[in-house]
Amino acid sequence: MSSIDRRPPVRRYEHGSRVPGWDEAVDLTKPPATVPDPALTPVPEELRAAIEAEMAKYPDRKSASIPALHLAQRHHGWCSPEAIKQVACVMRLTPAYLTSVASFYDMFYLQPKPKHDVYVCTNITCSLLGADELYERMCEAAEGHDISVRGFECLGACDIGPMASVDGEYVGPLNLDDPKLIVEDIEAGRPVLEHKQLRRRAVADAKGRVDDFDGIAPVGQEGN
Amino acid sequence: MPRPEQKIIKLTIDGREVEAVQGTMLVDAAKAADVEIPYFCYEPKLGQPVGACRMCLVEIEGIPKLQTSCSTPVRDGMVVNTQVQRVKDAQNSVVEFLLVNHPLDCPVCDKGGECPLQDITFGWGKGRSRVIEPKRHFVKPLALSPLIAIDRERCILCYRCVRFSQEVAEDWQLIFTERGSHTFVGTHDGHPYVAPFSGNIIELCPVGALTSQPYRFRARPWDIEGAGGVCTLCPAQCNVEFTVRDDKVLRVLSRENPGVDDGWLCDKGRFAYQAIHVDERITTPLVRDGSGELRPASWEEAITAAGALGQHQGSVGALVGGQASNEEAFLIGRLLREGLASADIDSRPHGTVELGLTRALAAPKLQATVQDIEFAHTVLVLGTEPLDDAPILDLRIRKGVRRHGVKLAIASARPSALDPNAQLSIRYAPGAVVEFLSGLEWALTAPGSGETHELAQLLRDGGEDVVILWGESLPPAALAILLRIAEKLGLAEREGAGLLEIPAGANARGIREAGALPNAGPGYADTTTGRDAAEIAAATAAGDIRALYLFGVDPLRDLGARAEWQAALARAELVVAHAGVLTEGIAAHADVVFPAESSAEKEGTIVHPDGRLQRLRVAIKHPGQVRAGWQVIGELAKAVGLDLHVLTAGMAFKQLVAAVPFYAGLTLEQIGGRGVRWPETEAAAAMPAGTPAAQVAVTDVASGPRPEVNGHLAAGTYRSIWASPEVEISPALKFTVAEQLVELAPEDAARLGIEHGSTVQVAQNGTRLSGRAVIRTGVPAGSVFLATGIAKDSANALDELMVEVVKSR
Amino acid sequence: MPHLLFDRIDEPGLNTIPVYERRGGYSALRKALQMPPEAIVEELSQSGIRGRGGAGFKMGQKASFLPKGEMAKYLTCNADESEPGTFKDRELMQKSPHTLIEGIIITTYATGIHHAFIYIRGEYQLQADILDAAVAEAEAAGYLGENILGSGHSLKLVVHRGAGAYICGEETGLLDSLEGKRGNPRLKPPFPAIEGLYAGPTLVNNVETLGTVPTIINMGGADYAKIGTEGSTGTKLISVSGDVQRPGNYEIELGISSREIIYGLCGGPKPGRTVKMWFPGGSSSPVLLEQDLDLSYDFDTLAKAGSMLGSGAIIVVDDSHSAFEVMQKVVKFYAHESCGKCVPCREGTNWTNKFLARIEAGESTPMDLDILASVQSQIIGNCLCVLGDAMAMPVGSIVAKFRDELEAEIEAARERANALPLTDTEDLLALSAH
Ligand SMILES: Cc1cc2nc3c(=O)[nH]c(=O)nc-3n(C[C@H](O)[C@H](O)[C@H](O)COP(=O)(O)O)c2cc1C
Ligand code: SF4
Ligand code: FES
Repeated sequence: MSSIDRRPPVRRYEHGSRVPGWDEAVDLTKPPATVPDPALTPVPEELRAAIEAEMAKYPDRKSASIPALHLAQRHHGWCSPEAIKQVACVMRLTPAYLTSVASFYDMFYLQPKPKHDVYVCTNITCSLLGADELYERMCEAAEGHDISVRGFECLGACDIGPMASVDGEYVGPLNLDDPKLIVEDIEAGRPVLEHKQLRRRAVADAKGRVDDFDGIAPVGQEGN
Repeated sequence: MPRPEQKIIKLTIDGREVEAVQGTMLVDAAKAADVEIPYFCYEPKLGQPVGACRMCLVEIEGIPKLQTSCSTPVRDGMVVNTQVQRVKDAQNSVVEFLLVNHPLDCPVCDKGGECPLQDITFGWGKGRSRVIEPKRHFVKPLALSPLIAIDRERCILCYRCVRFSQEVAEDWQLIFTERGSHTFVGTHDGHPYVAPFSGNIIELCPVGALTSQPYRFRARPWDIEGAGGVCTLCPAQCNVEFTVRDDKVLRVLSRENPGVDDGWLCDKGRFAYQAIHVDERITTPLVRDGSGELRPASWEEAITAAGALGQHQGSVGALVGGQASNEEAFLIGRLLREGLASADIDSRPHGTVELGLTRALAAPKLQATVQDIEFAHTVLVLGTEPLDDAPILDLRIRKGVRRHGVKLAIASARPSALDPNAQLSIRYAPGAVVEFLSGLEWALTAPGSGETHELAQLLRDGGEDVVILWGESLPPAALAILLRIAEKLGLAEREGAGLLEIPAGANARGIREAGALPNAGPGYADTTTGRDAAEIAAATAAGDIRALYLFGVDPLRDLGARAEWQAALARAELVVAHAGVLTEGIAAHADVVFPAESSAEKEGTIVHPDGRLQRLRVAIKHPGQVRAGWQVIGELAKAVGLDLHVLTAGMAFKQLVAAVPFYAGLTLEQIGGRGVRWPETEAAAAMPAGTPAAQVAVTDVASGPRPEVNGHLAAGTYRSIWASPEVEISPALKFTVAEQLVELAPEDAARLGIEHGSTVQVAQNGTRLSGRAVIRTGVPAGSVFLATGIAKDSANALDELMVEVVKSR
Repeated sequence: MPHLLFDRIDEPGLNTIPVYERRGGYSALRKALQMPPEAIVEELSQSGIRGRGGAGFKMGQKASFLPKGEMAKYLTCNADESEPGTFKDRELMQKSPHTLIEGIIITTYATGIHHAFIYIRGEYQLQADILDAAVAEAEAAGYLGENILGSGHSLKLVVHRGAGAYICGEETGLLDSLEGKRGNPRLKPPFPAIEGLYAGPTLVNNVETLGTVPTIINMGGADYAKIGTEGSTGTKLISVSGDVQRPGNYEIELGISSREIIYGLCGGPKPGRTVKMWFPGGSSSPVLLEQDLDLSYDFDTLAKAGSMLGSGAIIVVDDSHSAFEVMQKVVKFYAHESCGKCVPCREGTNWTNKFLARIEAGESTPMDLDILASVQSQIIGNCLCVLGDAMAMPVGSIVAKFRDELEAEIEAARERANALPLTDTEDLLALSAH
């Protein structure tokens, strides 16, 4: 029908910004994405229950959208269209609502991603301390593994910079040999760089210290 | 909620003291005082200001930072400066920032010449840019839907389109994705933005980012003219502006009228103008020749052939379709009653309503206005789906709920698009509305529990301003109860309360007031009673009526009892029709077809369901041989020996005003571009009083959905917003043409082994329709909903309640 | 120097109620519940404590803005902690979560709030888990829930995890995010205290601010006010990072000298290096120089020096780094985190970012620094929230204070890029046409 549906992407200037999605037309053969009908949208029972439990915590059910997206991302590995549709169905929202929310936040993935997450902080403090090179090493080390490596904005642990968050576990200060060890630990399924974990680190302030500090014991769902 | 009071305050803008209504946003107050403050994101129709574009910054004395005038309500004594250097610098800056990425492709942009960004850059920009960094470059334009193209390079992220989708239409399909300067307008996972009101975003866009696929590159602002008109595709009668070039309508824009449409249009109203200029449209008279073919004919031939109606004195039945103007309906009434000695004229598709009741329901004091919906305490939507039947009212109801805390209740057989917004949604079984209303009447006085009682309580105790929107398809027995309920709630006594009928035809109210009813003359006057539509069908099939005059109606498509009408049309000796398109019944049975006018060509008046007379004006000249409706009726009358004395449309209007006492004194000038609600005029007192509703004892009766009986489901019908011949022939809307969608409850579908999207057969007494199954949560088990008003497989072929739904093999 | 929050914070088990109570935890709550709510607000006002999240607004005053009486009101604890260089709330929540919870309970009692949220950044998984466990523990102990300790006050506390967006630390962006939307800031007015979460009056305070409340109740506001300086009372948790030998979190008394912090506590830069510049309050504070090290570390002094105390995050940059490199990191961060809602910030941060890329590529001239500076001034004050200013202020300060170095950097980049020495407009035109 329309002559302007899909055309090859145009060549872009070197430092023009680039975002996935910008060059994409809609698929005119798809129906509009309205609030999914429960009768037509199967949702895994445990996911539904977990989302409903989140919704129950808030005066307005919409508040549960970020927690629900976390749950769906954990369940599906990423915020796939299917995952988003399921959340939309349980929360009685349009999938677009959730896509809009998910794409705003750095921790949600709207593209398929490897299983493990390594966020390397490349913000100001860490980069003063060598994070940019560390990040490159980390990317090299992770090559060929089921690991996604991302340069991340300040993770709130500049005291251990340069640092990284490995599946949520903060480790640092890292040297250029650590990326290899991180990958090995991930592959072996053991705690990552145990001696460099933030949770084991004493406060810098002398008056905050005690002699027998051995870190904060893991709570809840460790290692997720 | 009662409307807020208005208080006038004084403030100083650029050293000049001006007056404004307290609470108005500064930018509006300034505009009223002839001080223009530029802006992009501000649009009060979209709700609360977002303050995103920062174009409207001004200096307010006493506040250190510049403030956004779009979000600052005026206060008494406020001192505002819009011309100081700080403000100019800020304006220059915002323009410069906006152009960091906006392409300067104005020469090839469809918006060029009517572009706020162009104007503001010219008026408030610095005139030169310091940006030499490369801009973003992307594929453009892309399809956002079959109707809308998007150019993401040009988007300035002003929030207007997404706010419309999210906060006005509430369809939540159009979104911002990503963040910061990566943000772009899009949808979920490449789904198109297809929704009933999507086209409004084109008009909202202040740059050329969203353009109309059908209009793109058809004209430049300097070769078009705008002509005010009214859309007659549904009873909402939205005010429009036709964009005209070379006597062709190229585009339809909204023409904001808060009493009617709030400045929005549905996509039918916005894009079905294409039906005016397509090959399917009839533009010459047609006469059936000896071989049975409809062939183009001269007007003389056609009028002569149609003049044979005169030979059937006392034996002509006439039907007037909903798009007729008041004048046309009035003249047809005269033609029939005075020229053909017949009283068999009707315009109601759902059966006659006793005259006393008709008058009572149309009583001026009992009429709610469109704006009342927005400010009522409670709105009850009864037996109608506003989204399909009068789309723009769906938006008005949402607005009332969202902005003014209106409590919404829905009572219908079929689930409604408004259910999620409603405090209470009650489902009665198809065909059980009378029982439902009896139960409601009973619950208004008797204590009890259950949802009917909840509704009664809401209506009674939820605040006095109650507005009931009711659909014309309610049977007469239901209307008597509705009237009693209105009396019990005292709706006639309150300014902001009342009833608002959503009729089946666009100008149904005006047509009735002009006298196209079997039991009333112009102005609901007493008259010799004739046959109604169903009786005309029966009498024609029986040979008692020998000729039919169909003005903008195809009974096979627009009315029920299809089998009976088929027999009637086959038996009639002469069928004279006015039609824009050859729909099934006309194509097969009409002997003479006069080409009908479109609303862009017509001159005349129509009446909004809330009693507002509106003017149709000539925007383009008639294409082909098309002639004005009043003129054709006049010539036809002459051919049967009656002189109607109409030489201009204005003369027809004068006759109408003289005949309808409650229009007395109205002039076309007064009606003007905004319309006049006659129930608010003094002449309204001349409206004949209705018969008060007979008080009867009521009891509580069950009306809720019932489970299937012997595998049969109770069938309700609906007429989709897209079910119209104009939609079918508009190329841009082809993708959305309504078809038979059979809506089933998940339970029933599972029991019958029917899958969503599969083809099913609906059967009753040997009649079979085929359609696509739609499994819809919310359809009560035991009910099924079928489409009417469509070209093929319409549910008007079924005359009984219970149907069987089976899988197609 | 008194230690109010960090005293022996590493004690094992302090994150659980038994240890916390043994050390006197929840005694402030018991004391507070005996006081009339207004008296608590009064104590907070007397303490003079200013918000620890960045803006430094007086906590007692903010609490008193909240309408009185029963209605849906909310408290939101801002635990988003995303300002580069800031990591103090993390240590407090991880090691002594009940300090925060106790502070929240007291504050809600004082303001008649029954629904509170801790909005914690999604990346802080360990800390969120610890808070979740602590909330459950406090509920079981009767510190949360209905009729707390028989006082008639009830409170539901929910830990809400974000998902990675700096702007959700801005209080109204936080509210939108907590309502389940994109975290775009809202127009102010209305201020959250009048119309905030779910359109109800809402008190938004930083973790440290709320965590100090039990101390204030225990000590009494007047005594608390004796610590620190007149305009900056109390102690402050500070995060020091960058080119110092002992980075980390410290509790200091407001008003000590900045040199004492950077050199005394943190050991200063590596031997042989000097402080080139330092951010006194997170990456959004205008930079200060070596010569400013003797400034007293408190809200008013730093403001007077043209910068700010912000969140108390000191980032030290030594002379081994170029000013350009620092500026570029700052700009990239804010361009990445701009929410995109308002034009000056969205386009301004993005333009500045491209600008620096052009400098790096050797395609600009020293003259461009004027444009760069003017772009910053066009951002300041014109945005919807202050994220835009948060980039423009430090960038503006770096351009002003390191102009010579930046000009040299531009020339060096041009040389690297083998560009012609720029002499006339011809070349500029050639550039703009590229
Ligand atoms: C862009 C931006 C980011 C902010 N980030 C944080 C933050 O991460 N944590 C925080 O407590 N306050 C942050 N703030 C300050 C908050 O808006 C707010 O002032 C503070 O939470 C109020 O608490 P307080 O009065 O206790 O400091 C930020 C402000 C801005 C403008
Ligand atoms: S200043 Fe930046 S972060 Fe704040 S509203 Fe504007 S675009 Fe969003
Ligand atoms: S119109 Fe005021 S900020 Fe856009």
